[in-house]
Amino acid sequence: MKIIGKKVNEEIERGYLGPNLECDYHPSHFTGQDCTFCYCPFYPCGDGDLGWELDGKRGRKVWNCSDCLFIHRPEVASHIMSEIKRMGITDYSDVRLRGVFEETKKNYWHMGKALMVVGATSDAGKSITVAALCRVLHRKGYLVAPFKSQNMSLNSKVTRGGAEIAMIQTLQAQAAGLTNPDAHMNPILLKPKGDDISQVIVCGKPFADYRVKEYYSEFVPGPGIEIVREHVDFMRKRYDFVIMEGAGSPAEINIYDKDIANMKAAEIADASVILVVNVEWGGAYAYALGTVELIPEKDRKRIKGIILNNVRGDPEKMRSGADKLSEMVGIPVIGIIPHVDVALPSEDSEALRGAKGKGEGKIRVGVVKFPRIANFTDIDPLVLDGIQVVYVESPKDLDGVSAVILPGTKNTVMDYRWMREKGIAGRLAELRGKLPILGICGGYQMMGAILDDSMGIEGGKKEVIDGLGFFGNRTVFAEYKKTVANRDAALLKGDGGNLTGYELHMGQTEVSEEPLFRIDSMFAPSWNEGSVREDEKLFGTYLHGCFDAQPFRRYFLSFLGDAAADMPMKSYGESLEESLDALADAFESSLDMGKLMEILEGKA
Amino acid sequence: MRVLVLGTSSAAGKTTLCAMLCRHYMREGKDPVPFKASNLSLNSYATKDGGEIGMGQAFQAWSAGLEPVTDMNPVLLKPSGGGMMQAVVNGKPYMDYGKGKELDREAVMREALKAYGRLAENHGFIICEGSGSPAEINLMDRDLANTGLMERTDIPAIIVGDIERGGVFAAIYGTWRLIPDDLKPRIKGFVINRFRGDASILKDGLDRIEELTGMKCLGVLPYVYLRFPEEDSCSDSDGKLEGATVREAYLRNVDELTDTAEASGFDFGLLEEIARSRSSS
Repeated sequence: MKIIGKKVNEEIERGYLGPNLECDYHPSHFTGQDCTFCYCPFYPCGDGDLGWELDGKRGRKVWNCSDCLFIHRPEVASHIMSEIKRMGITDYSDVRLRGVFEETKKNYWHMGKALMVVGATSDAGKSITVAALCRVLHRKGYLVAPFKSQNMSLNSKVTRGGAEIAMIQTLQAQAAGLTNPDAHMNPILLKPKGDDISQVIVCGKPFADYRVKEYYSEFVPGPGIEIVREHVDFMRKRYDFVIMEGAGSPAEINIYDKDIANMKAAEIADASVILVVNVEWGGAYAYALGTVELIPEKDRKRIKGIILNNVRGDPEKMRSGADKLSEMVGIPVIGIIPHVDVALPSEDSEALRGAKGKGEGKIRVGVVKFPRIANFTDIDPLVLDGIQVVYVESPKDLDGVSAVILPGTKNTVMDYRWMREKGIAGRLAELRGKLPILGICGGYQMMGAILDDSMGIEGGKKEVIDGLGFFGNRTVFAEYKKTVANRDAALLKGDGGNLTGYELHMGQTEVSEEPLFRIDSMFAPSWNEGSVREDEKLFGTYLHGCFDAQPFRRYFLSFLGDAAADMPMKSYGESLEESLDALADAFESSLDMGKLMEILEGKA
Repeated sequence: MRVLVLGTSSAAGKTTLCAMLCRHYMREGKDPVPFKASNLSLNSYATKDGGEIGMGQAFQAWSAGLEPVTDMNPVLLKPSGGGMMQAVVNGKPYMDYGKGKELDREAVMREALKAYGRLAENHGFIICEGSGSPAEINLMDRDLANTGLMERTDIPAIIVGDIERGGVFAAIYGTWRLIPDDLKPRIKGFVINRFRGDASILKDGLDRIEELTGMKCLGVLPYVYLRFPEEDSCSDSDGKLEGATVREAYLRNVDELTDTAEASGFDFGLLEEIARSRSSS
């Protein structure tokens, strides 16, 4: 408390500051934040809308307000500082501060509004619409955040706090200008393990495995609804707008009462709803009308607008149909959005269905398309660099590639067996030493000498199998335990350099190779990570996202020969920012913004 | 017998469903023949008599044990770039249109109907495929292969929807709703395509669609990992394709598909009943 008091007194003496662009951690919460009160003059305010008590050391309760954004709102910070100055307060212990807090909260705090984006199908463009709306509203100066109550995806990311959430919510958070995406934005994550079973992650931590039927009969009516309620409330208390994303279609009438990702979540959040339809496959009017009319009347009233998305060709050609649709369903079409060609990561493997590759560059990199491929967005930065990614599903797909990447998988042992049966493993053994081969996470485990699943945790069958043997490493799946961590790493080879990645895996690897990275941590001595044999062009790491920053990309591509050496290196982060702006521009110019704001404010 | 298979969107599975029906009824000796009044595709096949038809109909003809002929796809519309289209009629280039130059849809439709008539005379069961979605409310007055064919013949129809991308109940119901009221009584059944998992979970939804529309559910077809001819850029059939020739490979796949459909409990009897029905209106 003493330290906080001293810091607050310094802040009061210094006066109004605005954003502190000099600070190494800026923006620690969101782009445009006010840093006048890095330390809160009201701590501990004890207000349940802004923080909560957690159990500290020695049984003491500690007030936690680490995700409170209120004090960093520019209008709030400037009001508080002017009040402090007007009243002549100079010290943290001044009792009049309580009055300032209460008056400010009363006048400046409000419960945020929620808007939900549902889609007529998967891949309707929900995620992109949420990202676009987050960026549009962020640019208008609102504090806005994404939310998806329940996401089914194998593409997840680890937050700063060590929670696992869907990758797409972290991207939407970036669109909203938020620095630290957290588990409140995606409280339930389902990771499919087979056709019928999923691992359920709650608030970033593994909760349990469920079969589809049990998920709907036990989890949803039990903990599910309460989880959604708790987190959507949390979000509304902190943001002006919470842009919620639905899942799949909201009109799956066979499970309607058990669906907590769509209209039920909208009801809990008292959200207005916008329906997005992808027109690319045709039948868009039927999908739109069918979706609206199959939703029971009490919920249908929440649907305030329809967006026809992904129009190739002249959007005006759809106008007469859109008018007719509006008239039939009594809901306005608030936007006919053209197809936007932006490079953004795709949400789930459904988007990979039938895809043969990605990008159009001359240099081809083969990526083995495991049946349970996970975190395949790891390779997206390569596409930005003008590399053509070719998905490898048979040995002949490896013809003509300049490098091979074995990506992550939800199940290393089963996908390794698949790779052997397909003959891809055999072909890789022939290519060893001839071209660069990189394994990430599960792919890295496969490159080792031994996959020890003697407990039957990965493959179901208790067995120890030989890996590709490119490294001497041994991976043991000893217990049902998962490593989930966000890492700061330094590249130990080539020109070096720093990057941030994340680990997300079952199994532990005993490494007997030269390391690729050094992991630095505030809480432990540094340690080594990954494996490399430069003479054989073999690379392996657990770090997802290793290509996002330039150092490792530049290093890996240097093994692809001269053609790769001249390639321009873009920063993945910058290019994502450009894409998000381009996306927001397209939505802003095609949407009836007046109508959208009315819907957002709950006035439609 | 005759039936028209409408799809809720492109790539809903019309082409493969029709091929499967051709195969099944060929096995049963019912003399099926494929037909698609009008096809929008760049994937075409040259018939033995030197005509050009959509690849999908060639594949369906093989499935029916027939040699492809131009009557099976009398109108083929091929985008030729720059907003222009080439119309191929009865297998031969007929005209280029676009940029203000209109296709004489009535003349083209008459040719399609003649071809349909010839097939009806010579075969036991015409399996017709629709084109795209029949519910494009901004284009419905120009339709040839969907409501266009229904208006000019007494053909009964069914709707197939792809469950894989979600929203299949909405898609089937919405498609039915947007079909003109006078044609609705002739849409008698629907099919759910590409389902994975335990189909019993769908029951409440299927019952509700039957109740709302009067259509009957003919079956829930399981997902198969097989490759079929791709009709347009929206189709992305993925999977196994093995054999000495393309024809042999596709036939091997259609056999596997038909076996799967027969084992799934697809109601072929009800489909025949539908295909025999005469409209009262």
